[in-house]
Amino acid sequence: MYRQKKMLIILLLSSLVVIQGCWSSKEIEDLSVYAGLALDVGERVDIERDLESQGAKYLKKNLVTATVQIVPIKSFERQEKSKEKQLLKYSNLRLTGDSIFEIMRQYSTRRDRPVIGHHLKVIVVSTKLAQQQHMDQLMDFVLRDNDIRPSCRVFFSKGKAYDTFLIDQPEEVPAFRINSMTQNSYRTNKVMKEVNLTQLDGLIHSKQSFLLQNIVSSNGEIEFSGAGIIKGDSSKWIGDLNQENVESLSWIQGNGHGGVIKSYDWRNQTISYEIKSMKSKMTAKLKGDDISFHVSIESKGRLIENWDINENPSELAYLEAAEKIFEERLAKMLDSLMRKMQSKYKVDVAGFGKNLSIQYPQKWKKIKGNWDEEFSRIPVTFEIKLTITDYGSSTK
Amino acid sequence: MITLWTFITSNLPDWKMCAQALISMMIAIGIYFFNKYLRLIVAKKNAPIQKKENGDEHPAKSNLSVDYDENLNAIKQVISSNSDVHFREFQITDIQARATLIFVDGMQNEELISEHVMKILMSDTEKDITGINPLALSAYLLENVLPVCEAYEAADLRDLNQSVLKGCTALLIEGMPSALLIHASNMKSRAINEPSSEALLRGPRIGFTEVLSENTSMLRRQGFSDDLEINRYEVGARIKRKLVIAYMKEIVNQDLLQEVRDRIEKINIDFVAESGYVEQLIEDDYLSPFQQTQNTERPDRVINSLLEGRIAILLDGTPFALIVPVTFGMLLQSPEDYYDRWLPGTFLRMLRFFAAFLALMAPALYISFISFHPGLIPTELAITIIETRQGVPFPSLIEVLILEISIEILREAGIRLPKPIGPAMGIVGGLIIGEAAVQAGIVSPFLVIVVAVTAISSFSIPVYSAGITLRILRFGGMLCAAVLGMFGTILFFLFICGHLSKLKSFGVPYVTPLSPVRFSDWKDLFVRAPLPLMKKRPKMMKTQDKNRLS
Repeated sequence: MYRQKKMLIILLLSSLVVIQGCWSSKEIEDLSVYAGLALDVGERVDIERDLESQGAKYLKKNLVTATVQIVPIKSFERQEKSKEKQLLKYSNLRLTGDSIFEIMRQYSTRRDRPVIGHHLKVIVVSTKLAQQQHMDQLMDFVLRDNDIRPSCRVFFSKGKAYDTFLIDQPEEVPAFRINSMTQNSYRTNKVMKEVNLTQLDGLIHSKQSFLLQNIVSSNGEIEFSGAGIIKGDSSKWIGDLNQENVESLSWIQGNGHGGVIKSYDWRNQTISYEIKSMKSKMTAKLKGDDISFHVSIESKGRLIENWDINENPSELAYLEAAEKIFEERLAKMLDSLMRKMQSKYKVDVAGFGKNLSIQYPQKWKKIKGNWDEEFSRIPVTFEIKLTITDYGSSTK
Repeated sequence: MITLWTFITSNLPDWKMCAQALISMMIAIGIYFFNKYLRLIVAKKNAPIQKKENGDEHPAKSNLSVDYDENLNAIKQVISSNSDVHFREFQITDIQARATLIFVDGMQNEELISEHVMKILMSDTEKDITGINPLALSAYLLENVLPVCEAYEAADLRDLNQSVLKGCTALLIEGMPSALLIHASNMKSRAINEPSSEALLRGPRIGFTEVLSENTSMLRRQGFSDDLEINRYEVGARIKRKLVIAYMKEIVNQDLLQEVRDRIEKINIDFVAESGYVEQLIEDDYLSPFQQTQNTERPDRVINSLLEGRIAILLDGTPFALIVPVTFGMLLQSPEDYYDRWLPGTFLRMLRFFAAFLALMAPALYISFISFHPGLIPTELAITIIETRQGVPFPSLIEVLILEISIEILREAGIRLPKPIGPAMGIVGGLIIGEAAVQAGIVSPFLVIVVAVTAISSFSIPVYSAGITLRILRFGGMLCAAVLGMFGTILFFLFICGHLSKLKSFGVPYVTPLSPVRFSDWKDLFVRAPLPLMKKRPKMMKTQDKNRLS
């Protein structure tokens, strides 16, 4: 009897362990992954209006429309439909509200499988929204959330951010396309160095002005074009840099890995310079109270395209003349960028301030509170040295 | 003072927290006592029985008398109830004496007996045995007449009977007060084959057989050394069997040798059928899933272990020798590591460590990734897994269990299948489990890869029984992963590590070069250092002679 009782107690105790079961487990197929998040100005879509008219309402202001791109959609649904036509691999879900987190949870009232943030790759914010709302407020949830990886990249969209999440190729996922396109910066320096959440966190909280790559879209096609500027003290979008400005920026920072300088020679024929290497050195000079910057740029490259049939690229004189033309072109590009930064927007997005803070920390402490203003009055000089090392495999 | 007291009380946890802490403490203490209790059961039963059996077992010696018939009857009384004991009576012509050969059918070399005993005695021998006193006859026969190698006199009836049953042929002659025992046993043994459980590409293709004398001679034949000592024991209470321990007397640690001897002397069982019995009766911890002796069929493996200062235990009637003590590293080593050059040896060894890890943890990791941490899977893979798992109705644990258990059944069946249909069944089973289960939506294709990799990995472990250990533990890992995810998987791994570092084999810590750390032994753990670098014997064995090179 006693023995049986003992066995029973052990059994009951062990059931404590067993019936707990897999208490925090969540099978992967019961979840859905969102790969992209697009933030637009609050504007309810038709379905949402319809649902709300039937009473699907809660207390909110319609400030932000958040779109999540969910992958994959149920595969057996796809298999059935794919016989008729090619079906999309993703689905976009839009909700409007005034708290990103609440919107995220609101998705669970619309879809059977809740979304998880581990695989979020890109966040696209429309410039219109960034103009209205503070960037630090918009990004607060994604920076705070434990699931979302700090490697997630952030972009601006000139038009509606939702449009960048459409694609004309059904087998591709737009969020992944945007994510992979950032890797093309070794082909052209028009593609900026990525800005991920870790960097964004630092930039926002240090009240620096910064850039985010702009995406423009049309009918499911997208293009990286220039960058949007966030002003540090207001944390709002104030304007854009164009593609050329982004190129020039990479020359100042010396972080480009490849690209082109195209110019026209004295006969107005196209000649192109392929960037093989890029180096820049920024030095701050302090004379009394006056700050000035000097940037020396060095580059090696190749004369890769020459439409001028009257010239012979194998001649040294011609190459030297071409170098001059490219240098002039680059100087012009830099000048246009500097004018935009110093006169038009009065922001420093090229890292001059950081350079000063390293070289003259005392001086930096005094002026950092008003740096963007200060910067617009500081003279910057450039010294450009381009070297054409060869002219490819054709002599003529 | 009062403020301090209120500060302390305000920070004390509430009663629920205290109760939780108490319960978890009770569980730990409970486990400790349960473990102690389990160990006690075996310790009691295995305790050597201090019985003075000598008095009962050996009655007063009854010597053979001069009377031939009386002797014959006495012998017949004891052993003639055995149908296989034969009595061959004949006449020795020279002295006109009756004689009897007593032997067990099938155990003696008949040709030798009839050629060298009967023929000589029955026909006229050149030697003259007529004038010899019957009392001195036996000595004369041994010295002058019988041309056999192993023969001796036996005067005790009991000895005589036992010897006959063991395979000797007894010769009883009228008028002679003792019998002659002619040892011409002819045990049939099989040919020496390549060991099937430990096949190698490079290395000697010789394996132990079931005959102990052949096995010990195989060890001797590895190369001449007067260092190699082989001691004989008899084990088994009812049916006795020969058991030998082999060691290098100038290398082996004396304490270890004494320990092995003590444990073998304590073996108390009716019959030792196989060296597995010995293994289980002398091991340190019967609750551990890890083997504490290594079994091998390879003489080269044994001799290498002896040179490291280990001890081999060989039992008659089985080709499996035991090597003690065993350390974890040995389970993942193959003799080939040493026969090949050191780079391939090192590579293969690392591969095996990796494979052992996979064999143990792969399904557990799969479960914890799928059910608990979808964020740890690369995005593209996560999407593919979601797509493929959408039709699967089971949680990942059940899914893995279905496939793992079917694979284990298939493997178990594969051993027993008759040779001609073995491969066919393998293909059918593999196809059904791999392809059809996916088609039927029972498991996901990704899992098939995981299970296949796991199965292959567990086959790459050179010691078969170590592979079984990992196969068993794998299921524990899967359960832990299903309950607590990655956290549980890591707990499970730590639990095994904890157990391993506590385990000892004949006083040598099981994971010794790792814990306790002996860096000089690491030369032969994950990597296999070039031979000239391995100048010393393993430190962990605490050998008498520390250097390999003279």
